Amino acid sequence: MSSLGGVRQLLRHPLRSVLSILGIAVASAMLLDMVMLSGGIEVSFAKLLLSRGWQVRVSPKGTLPFDTEATMPGATTLLAALRADASVAQAGPVLGTAVYARPSWKPDSLVALFGYGIEPGAQALYEVTAGTDLRRGDQDGVLVGDVVASRLRVQPGDTLVVVGRLDPQLAASGIERRLVVRGVVRWLYDYRGQPSIGTVLPVMQSLAKSRVQDPASVMMVRLKDSVSTADAVARLRAALPAVEVRSVEDLVVNFRERLVYFRQLALILGSVSLVVTVLLIGTLLTITVNERLAEIATLRAIGVQRSSILRQIFLEGMTLVGLGGSIGMVLGLVTARQLDAILTSFPGLPAAFSFFVVRPQEVLIAAAVLFVTGALAGLWPAWLAARAPIAATLRGEAT
Amino acid sequence: MRVLRAAIAAFVFLTGWMPAPLGAQAPIGVALERRLADELRLQIGDTLRLGPSPDSLRALARVEAIYDPAPDPSTVMRDDRRMRMHLPDLAALLGQPDRVDRFGVVLQPGVSDSVAAARLNELAFGYRAYPSAEIAAGSSRTFEVVSRFHKAIAVITIVASAVFLLCIMLLKVEERRLDAAVMRFVGVRRRTIVGALVLEAAAIAVVGAVLGVGFAVIASWVTNAYYQQRFATALIFSRVTFDIVLFGTVLSIVLGVGAGALAAWRLAGTKPMALWSRT
Repeated sequence: MSSLGGVRQLLRHPLRSVLSILGIAVASAMLLDMVMLSGGIEVSFAKLLLSRGWQVRVSPKGTLPFDTEATMPGATTLLAALRADASVAQAGPVLGTAVYARPSWKPDSLVALFGYGIEPGAQALYEVTAGTDLRRGDQDGVLVGDVVASRLRVQPGDTLVVVGRLDPQLAASGIERRLVVRGVVRWLYDYRGQPSIGTVLPVMQSLAKSRVQDPASVMMVRLKDSVSTADAVARLRAALPAVEVRSVEDLVVNFRERLVYFRQLALILGSVSLVVTVLLIGTLLTITVNERLAEIATLRAIGVQRSSILRQIFLEGMTLVGLGGSIGMVLGLVTARQLDAILTSFPGLPAAFSFFVVRPQEVLIAAAVLFVTGALAGLWPAWLAARAPIAATLRGEAT
Repeated sequence: MRVLRAAIAAFVFLTGWMPAPLGAQAPIGVALERRLADELRLQIGDTLRLGPSPDSLRALARVEAIYDPAPDPSTVMRDDRRMRMHLPDLAALLGQPDRVDRFGVVLQPGVSDSVAAARLNELAFGYRAYPSAEIAAGSSRTFEVVSRFHKAIAVITIVASAVFLLCIMLLKVEERRLDAAVMRFVGVRRRTIVGALVLEAAAIAVVGAVLGVGFAVIASWVTNAYYQQRFATALIFSRVTFDIVLFGTVLSIVLGVGAGALAAWRLAGTKPMALWSRT
């Protein structure tokens, strides 16, 4: 009995085989999507945070970076303390605050923007796509993102009027600065459509009318290559008890906790997919074996070995899994893109973030789980076929 | 203000209960969220120290109330702990008097909220007035996304279930080949055989649908119990509504009967000898 017997048996009942393969394909597509979803959130978040190689974030006590509008006063002192640590290669402050701009074509109106105050030489927030970066201590320059550049119709060299904290009692703007657009940048952590601009930290602090307090929303820290992140974080925590020091790994853990729902959903739906696969393969093969008991008994009577029968039924199941699984993997990748497009439209989520990350190991895990499950589902019917009593079966067929 | 309020909540959370020194100024009254009170092991009448930063916990406060916050889906995933105090106390604590995050405004009867908001926005800089409906629409964006995701997953699940049901029904009916052949040999009409098989398929579909609804109710109960405990909230996470039950039942029966009819029609169209010989 050749190994192709399993395929031939499937061809004897094309409709049921096609339906089974379709069922397994949809179930494996779901399985792949859920495997991708369960690990993709963490991978994508860690990749995003580590995209520029800064391993540590320092934020106000009890908060996550940019999770609230809380700030840390005395940024200069804090920065000096961080830079004095032997494990720190670089540290950069960031202040986030609401600011406004006056469009050149309608100077009496205001456009709400998000302002980053940064130190140009020590930042991991953006990449310059046009023009130049800010110079250190550049009090007259501003960087704009694509959204602001197109909304306010500005490009490098243009002047942008930026308005800081508004004063309702005066019915007027509290502070106003004319800044020259030095460059257009891609903000790495912005959500889609976020209108952000960046200036050096003191300018943004002035716009926020908080120069005296010298605040920062977060400090980004890059450690020296030879330093263990866990050791450095522990030392910084001990040295700076008034602020929150977290490594990217810590932030990923926090993020995982917030998105625990998606991981649990992935686990449940992935399990349901496997149950569907097991039921489909198990039912189909059991019915096939029952239908062919006489044929199997005859084969056994003329000397075909038990292992050969076992192999044929098993291969029939694996053929179903192979065909259904292959279609399912392709289907899964297509549906993952659609599902990712839905989930990444969450408000406030960085545009670079992804829920479904395609990695070879995810596809391999899904395929391996599917094949193992399919093999287990096919074993029982195959064992039933191989153990069929020859004489009793033939006698039953004859009578 | 929201910033500072969040910071205060965080500091309280992190610093925990601290004994009040003797002879301190009169404590301000605060109300703690139950989870915060439980975590800090605080009861009504206990005192604690508050401050805008961990190194300046200068204000003495007394717990005057412990409250259960209203269930709010927009904050359920956050791990924040909250406390309430009178506005002047908070302003004094922060050293920033006469500042607020937002005002709630009740309009005179008959006044359009959007017209009133537009008028208020023209009055001065420094704030932005929104109709409540606009805020609700903005803050429900997250749930709209989750809802769209659930619908997409539901479509995939329904496709998988439909194929599974078709396959099982086909196999179930094909299992009756021998019975159908015998019935044909003894003169039973094709229509009768098809009718009997479709009836059997319908019965299986109905039983399956009822079991499915029962399973959904149990799964929904488990889901609510787990997440309500997990997030310490009274929010309802899963609801099996009449519409959902109706949709699931009708879909199961239509698919089951459809698949059964298709398979029965194929079976009845096959020659009895062919059925008998199982070719």
